[in-house]
Amino acid sequence: MATSKRTVDRSADLALVERCRRGELGAFEELYRAHAGRLYTLACRMLGNPSDAEDLLQEIFLAAHRKLDSFRGESALGTWLYRVATNQLLDYLRSRRARAGQLTDGLDDMAGVADDMTARIGDRLVSKLDLDEAIAQLPDGCRAAFVLHDVEGLEHQEVAEALGIAEGTSKSQVHKARMRLRQALGVRL
Amino acid sequence: MACQQYRSSIQDLVDGTIGPIRRAELEQHLEVCADCRALLEDLERLRDVARSLDDRPPPDGAWLQIAARLRQEGRVRDLPRVSGSRMRIAALAMAAAIVIVAGAVLLFVARGRQAPASAAPATAAANTGAPGNAAPPPSVESVEAELDQAEQHYETAIKGLQQITASGQQSLDPQVARTLNKNVQVVDQAIAESRAALRAEPASVTARNSLFDALRQKVALLQDTIALMNEMRKGNQAGAAQIVEGRS
Repeated sequence: MATSKRTVDRSADLALVERCRRGELGAFEELYRAHAGRLYTLACRMLGNPSDAEDLLQEIFLAAHRKLDSFRGESALGTWLYRVATNQLLDYLRSRRARAGQLTDGLDDMAGVADDMTARIGDRLVSKLDLDEAIAQLPDGCRAAFVLHDVEGLEHQEVAEALGIAEGTSKSQVHKARMRLRQALGVRL
Repeated sequence: MACQQYRSSIQDLVDGTIGPIRRAELEQHLEVCADCRALLEDLERLRDVARSLDDRPPPDGAWLQIAARLRQEGRVRDLPRVSGSRMRIAALAMAAAIVIVAGAVLLFVARGRQAPASAAPATAAANTGAPGNAAPPPSVESVEAELDQAEQHYETAIKGLQQITASGQQSLDPQVARTLNKNVQVVDQAIAESRAALRAEPASVTARNSLFDALRQKVALLQDTIALMNEMRKGNQAGAAQIVEGRS
């Protein structure tokens, strides 16, 4: 049953992409409406601000339109778009770091985290809004790894591949991000 | 600090990647260390909230800007768009037109079957108007007139369908559209031949049945075309595939 549904979904994806390839704007709008929310959210979290995310959302969909010929239906359309989006976002983060003169460590944010065990969340309610704001304050490398792993649910190996870093670095970045978030959201004892 | 060596294990426990030996060691430590228990609870809570974060709606104007850039770069074309509800109404109108055609054809054939070729009543009106009276045999002209009337309904339905397919052609796969057109041509050929046979023998029941069969095939083809377009519009590939398979 699941395989059958997946087959139907894939063939629907292929039909939609075929219409997009033929230059049908309405078809591309359908594609946009179905996936823009998730990709915009990913962009907001990866980049840390909605203004950049809006610009990148355009670049993501324009890049996707240019690359439509490379979609073969081997993965779901959403997965393919997600890869296109991740590549665009990482290119942007790298160029942003390059502009800021931080070329040495790519996206590997090695800045240490103060091991502050007095900051605890404890019984405090952690709202989604608070967490989103705290994520936005993380350094780029930490944030990208945390968003892909803890929010998007990728494995460390997948995060490492996406970010072009070692798997151990992915773990270390995610762990640092969690400690920073705990510190940001916690109260000092 | 003794706890430092367990930090990595706590993170791995949160990730679900810790091995059994390290896990056992960590659990022993957690029993005696309130700080590490608190860290574990906090990280688990962070992970749970992170997994439940919601998507945000994209900015209102984002699509318009993307569409404008695609147009500017000449990568898309705007099609005369027919909304889903308009398409449905048009399809319903077409379905109604087909029913009219089918009704006209059925009436015509029923009349044809009602009486022997030599003494068939020309019209239902003649039957009801003069019960018991033998009606004159159908003339070539009267049969032609009825045929023309049925054909007129039929052509109206075809015209309506062509309008719908012109506006919704993009929803059909080109290969499917070509196959449907080919089928239409075959059925049209059958209709033309049946019609020619009926002209030659206006009272021939076989010729009338042949025409009726061809018209019925065309009606079914039109209905399938409309259904297929609607399924493609809805993005229902499975429904579309069933229709195509049903015709193959």
